[in-house]
Amino acid sequence: MVAYIVRRLLLAVLTVWAISVLSFIIIHLPPGDYVTSYIASMSASGSAVSEGEANALREQLGLDKPITIQYAKWMGLMLQGNFGMAMEWGRPVADVIGDRLTLTMVISVAAIIFTWALALPIGIYSAVYRYSFLDYVFTFVGFIGLAIPGFLLALIVMYVGFAWFGANVGGLFSPDFVEAPWSMAKVWDLTKHLPIPAIVLGVAGTAQLIRIMRSNLLDELRKPYVMTARARGLPEYRVIMRYPVRVALNPFVSTIGYLLPYVVSGSIIVSLVLSLPTVGPLLLKALIAQDMFLAGTIVLLLGVMTVIGTFISDLLLMWIDPRIRLGRQ
Amino acid sequence: MQLMRPTLVLAGLGLLGTLAVGSGAAVAQSATPADPSKPAKIGSSLIGKLEGPEIILDAKAFPKTFKEAPVLAAEVKAGKLPAVEKRLPEASQLFVVKPLHEIGKHGGNWRRAFTGPADHENGNRINSADKILTFDYTGTKIIPSLARDWKVSDDGKTTTIFLRKGAKWSDGKPFTANDFMFWYEDIYLNKNIVPTPFFEFQINGKDGKMRKIDDYTVAFEFPEPYAFFVYQLAGSTAMGAGFATRGAFGNYGGAYAPAHYLKQFLPKYSSEDAVNKKAKELGFDNWVSLLKNRYSWALNNELPVMTPWKTVSPINTPTWSMERNPYFWAVDTAGNQLPYIDRITMTLAENAEVANLRAIAGEYDIQERHMHLAKLPIFLENAKKGNYTVHLDPGLNGSDVAIHIGNSFEADPEISKLLKNKDFRHALALGIDRDQLNEAFWLGVGSAGSVAPAPDTIYSPGAEWNKKWGVLDLKQANELLDKVGLTKKDSDGYRLRTDGKGRLRLEMVTVGGQFVPYTQVGEMIKQQWKKIGIDVDIKELERNLAFTRDNASENQMITWANDGSEMLFLFPRHALPVDAAESHMGMAFAKWYASRGTAGTKPDDPEMIRAFDLFRDAYGMKEEDRIKNGKEIWKIIVEQTWSIGTVGQSPAFMGVRLVKNNMGNVPERQINAQHARTPHTSMPITFYFK
Repeated sequence: MVAYIVRRLLLAVLTVWAISVLSFIIIHLPPGDYVTSYIASMSASGSAVSEGEANALREQLGLDKPITIQYAKWMGLMLQGNFGMAMEWGRPVADVIGDRLTLTMVISVAAIIFTWALALPIGIYSAVYRYSFLDYVFTFVGFIGLAIPGFLLALIVMYVGFAWFGANVGGLFSPDFVEAPWSMAKVWDLTKHLPIPAIVLGVAGTAQLIRIMRSNLLDELRKPYVMTARARGLPEYRVIMRYPVRVALNPFVSTIGYLLPYVVSGSIIVSLVLSLPTVGPLLLKALIAQDMFLAGTIVLLLGVMTVIGTFISDLLLMWIDPRIRLGRQ
Repeated sequence: MQLMRPTLVLAGLGLLGTLAVGSGAAVAQSATPADPSKPAKIGSSLIGKLEGPEIILDAKAFPKTFKEAPVLAAEVKAGKLPAVEKRLPEASQLFVVKPLHEIGKHGGNWRRAFTGPADHENGNRINSADKILTFDYTGTKIIPSLARDWKVSDDGKTTTIFLRKGAKWSDGKPFTANDFMFWYEDIYLNKNIVPTPFFEFQINGKDGKMRKIDDYTVAFEFPEPYAFFVYQLAGSTAMGAGFATRGAFGNYGGAYAPAHYLKQFLPKYSSEDAVNKKAKELGFDNWVSLLKNRYSWALNNELPVMTPWKTVSPINTPTWSMERNPYFWAVDTAGNQLPYIDRITMTLAENAEVANLRAIAGEYDIQERHMHLAKLPIFLENAKKGNYTVHLDPGLNGSDVAIHIGNSFEADPEISKLLKNKDFRHALALGIDRDQLNEAFWLGVGSAGSVAPAPDTIYSPGAEWNKKWGVLDLKQANELLDKVGLTKKDSDGYRLRTDGKGRLRLEMVTVGGQFVPYTQVGEMIKQQWKKIGIDVDIKELERNLAFTRDNASENQMITWANDGSEMLFLFPRHALPVDAAESHMGMAFAKWYASRGTAGTKPDDPEMIRAFDLFRDAYGMKEEDRIKNGKEIWKIIVEQTWSIGTVGQSPAFMGVRLVKNNMGNVPERQINAQHARTPHTSMPITFYFK
């Protein structure tokens, strides 16, 4: 068991290193570099960068050096706990991401809570009362939820909010609170703005989870041990919750690995549409601007989160499912 | 107008076009109403009279007593600030403005949108009063700004500027010629900071020098005549755009800098170890990157500036906010210290669609940046509810969508040969129905024609050149194509290559997600060229990829605006291939020109060489000769058609302006041009809340 965990840990470190190399290569794959992108974006907004300025910029950012040297510099910085400067932002990468990380996590966690709080009970209900009227209703609504892309829902919700309720368009705070220091009033303002992004982000996931939970539980309910439990006269609540639901939870636990990166990045497209100050739009802008340290660090962070998440879900699965635990031994 | 509502949602979908390489088709087409004649009328009625504030140059007419904003008066009372007379320059040295309509009131918070740290031009352009010289509201005449006067020597080799005695930085420290010399000696000549000299500070590759005459007089000296240098000081260039703007660009232009503040970041005034240590402590690699950060007014709210407003909350946070500079050196004719407006608050919109939607909701006081022409009907529909007025400011450049020909494209010999053939280019130009484009994408408010600038700009060779090779003439186009040798057609009616490799397929590169819907315009041109038997593939590329291919001369054709080209010598890159930083019409030629023949490829077109010669010579010439050269160059450009013009002189490029009805002194129409730093020439310092 310990040997298993140690082996997984070593593999995780190796994977993270491989991810760092890969993410650096991926960021260098598109043609041009930060400076070409900068010239293009200035030209698009009616301004100019001269050739001399461009060369100076390249030299200062070390973009004229080979990719291996740039990677070594990045690695060297990272081993010192410094992720480099975000070129476009003129600030250390850690600060730029740090600013947005908290809010991203707040939104993502809210979305996950929304998803789970809705999906689990509905999934169980739909499985237990299969083909009931409410099961059909949930299935219908669920498929609509699956079918509507998040960004479209975001646009509709935003437009409805604007046209009929006079809500602020996008963002997580009212204009008065954006700059204000944290206070109870600001937290309340955030709480008021939170439901829309949380629901928009959560709807597709909810629909999906309902379907997964429903079909898993249905498989379990058919098994002989359930019948045995019933035959022994266990209360219906215990029959269902104690064993079949626990087994049906397996797929939930194994997707925790993918939840973690989601928590730190949020959904890029929905965040962009709703103008949420999260890490998602930051990554997109960094990739467009070819800001290699910022984009590299975010991609690496997502990779590390996936590795950690997978590791945690492995551990959880061992804990939740004796079959895996025993099988390993 | 109820029908218009869903278009808002559809317009939002255009955002996805920027995300994926998809298209913003919905943006342009959904906003095009069924009856094309109607919006044309709406559009033209929104273009008002060109007007703006005047500056008073006669010291006898200057005010003698001064008033200040209540917020500053309170600070003076509390003993935190010296009195207003002590903060302003000497009375005879003031910058005095006669506001457009009336004397305004102090106070207020100007709300605007910005899209992130790359959008510093948003603030720079409002805050451009710290340019050494500038243009008046017509965009044609040079007037003083930070410098109170200037003189060009008879031989054109020396340009001298005179500073305002008693002017102060925003922290109250005196602003003198020493700040210019500090910039020149310690910033510009330091190879660690500025590795390559600015081309604006050189004439024919020879460096200029800066010399202090006295505390308030600075001379720029050149080894060869450089009469045009005064335009460099007034234009949007590395030398003339102002310390704040160039600092925000991160490339140390501006020709002056606050010595008393910046010395602490330079090794010369302590040691390399000391400044590097300081940089490491603040999380920067080394002192150069720390200096770069400290040098930007948008990033550093401690930086002393000469601009009307200074940053409070920096651009890399969710709100970029500014407050008035208590030492700003301008007053109105009644003696009120300018600016009128106390604060500017720009809120982050993660994308331009959100900014547009917020503008419709009336959340911005004045906003011209990021507003899309295609949304004009929606802006108008909501104008009453949002309590704003829409103004359109047409640009001066000939073409918002110019089809720049890859004149140094070589990858396909047959196509390369055709692109280098003037008759072929003329045929393509004559095969475009510009009126259809104008109605569909510019709501009829643009001008159709060649790439030549607006007829009332200084280098315009005359209105007839706006139409030359810029009209629809299918007959002549087909004749020219036959003459070129493309006589055989396939069963679909498209012309065949002469080398027997099937149909002639051209490729036009477009970029999505810009101010102008290039891809959709391209698609319409594709349909139009079918009538002259020319097949073209419209290839939408990510902007960076498109530019990188430009740099390698790999694009056969690319659509891009020719903005800025009306001021040919200040910003030539969209008119002629002369700038190796950006050139869409032959990067190999641009490299050849910029390196004076040591790199790149020599153009094989003798007319291009002639244009280059006229262009190079103009920088040393006196005004009238230079204008003559400028006109001649434009004639060559139009005649040779190295770029094909479509529709221009329109408000598509940052010319859709939403102004709240309680804003005063805002012009009906303002010059919309790069050299004018729009809206700078309308003097935002005189805008106020009624």
